[in-house]
Amino acid sequence: MSTTGSLTRRALLLATSAAAGLVGAAGLAACTPTAAAPPPPDPLAELEARALADAALARGLALVPDLAAKATVVAEARTEHARVLRAEMDRERPPKPSSSSSAATTTTQAAPTPPTDPPAAAQALLDGLTKARQEAVDVVARLPRYRAGLVGSVAAGCASLLEVLA
Amino acid sequence: MTQPTGAQPTGDPSTQPVSTSVPPSRAPLAQDTLAAVQAALGAEHAAAWVYGLVSAFLPASFDKPIGDGAQAHRAQRDTTERLLGASGATPAPAEPAYLPPKPVTNQASALELVIGAEQDCAVAWRAVLERTDDADVRTTAALALTESAVRATRWRKAAGITPLTPALPGQP
Repeated sequence: MSTTGSLTRRALLLATSAAAGLVGAAGLAACTPTAAAPPPPDPLAELEARALADAALARGLALVPDLAAKATVVAEARTEHARVLRAEMDRERPPKPSSSSSAATTTTQAAPTPPTDPPAAAQALLDGLTKARQEAVDVVARLPRYRAGLVGSVAAGCASLLEVLA
Repeated sequence: MTQPTGAQPTGDPSTQPVSTSVPPSRAPLAQDTLAAVQAALGAEHAAAWVYGLVSAFLPASFDKPIGDGAQAHRAQRDTTERLLGASGATPAPAEPAYLPPKPVTNQASALELVIGAEQDCAVAWRAVLERTDDADVRTTAALALTESAVRATRWRKAAGITPLTPALPGQP
């Protein structure tokens, strides 16, 4: 009776320690960073890059007196597009504290310079907005719902900005 | 938002759009998608009605944009009714009349109403984008949103209203 009890207790202790070891190993495995490939780039990143490029171009054109009013509308709207796209990317995949994307965005806005060839720059802006609208329409069918609404409004915004410049 | 006057539509069931008698040729729309598409159809009905109203208050120089806009909304209405019909749903009929948010008495108030109708369409189609996973419906909605936003911008230019466009048309 007592032998059986001692065996049982030993067995129980062994089983418990083994289980604890397993749990410990499982816990370690869960905490260890997996050596998987980095996640694919966010599909909104390309739209954001184009918005920032258009905004920079438009800020330069806004220094040309004849184009100032229209170019300012484009610069402000495309800056807003970049901001909301970045906010959505950061919401879904929060940035590491060390990599401050908002700081990077701010530095790119420094000191616009007037274009050396305003007609060519104006054409480049039209081309950029046309491509941006098309890219947004192309990607809209493949996005989660909330993003589809956002990107649809970006496409409509680009189309409207083309009408502003027309 | 242009509101229906509350009067009952005069059509009886036998005069419903022909498309509803056609067997469904595509999968039914999810409940939330269906409600959003019906709401967008309502906005298109209202916009078509608004274009008819404002023509009386705008000079002949606006005949072309009025004609283009009215035609575009009729085409969008027909596309939307076909989509609903093909999905086995009954497209919501137009109201006999609508109540503008403000009385239309002159050119300025007419321009304000037509811009408002385009904005309502843009908001309604963006709402469709957020309530469907169907690629065809998404494409239809994105194009309708874009076209309404562009027409609203054209009308603001004509009316001298700034800003000429919001950054994100259709964002409520």
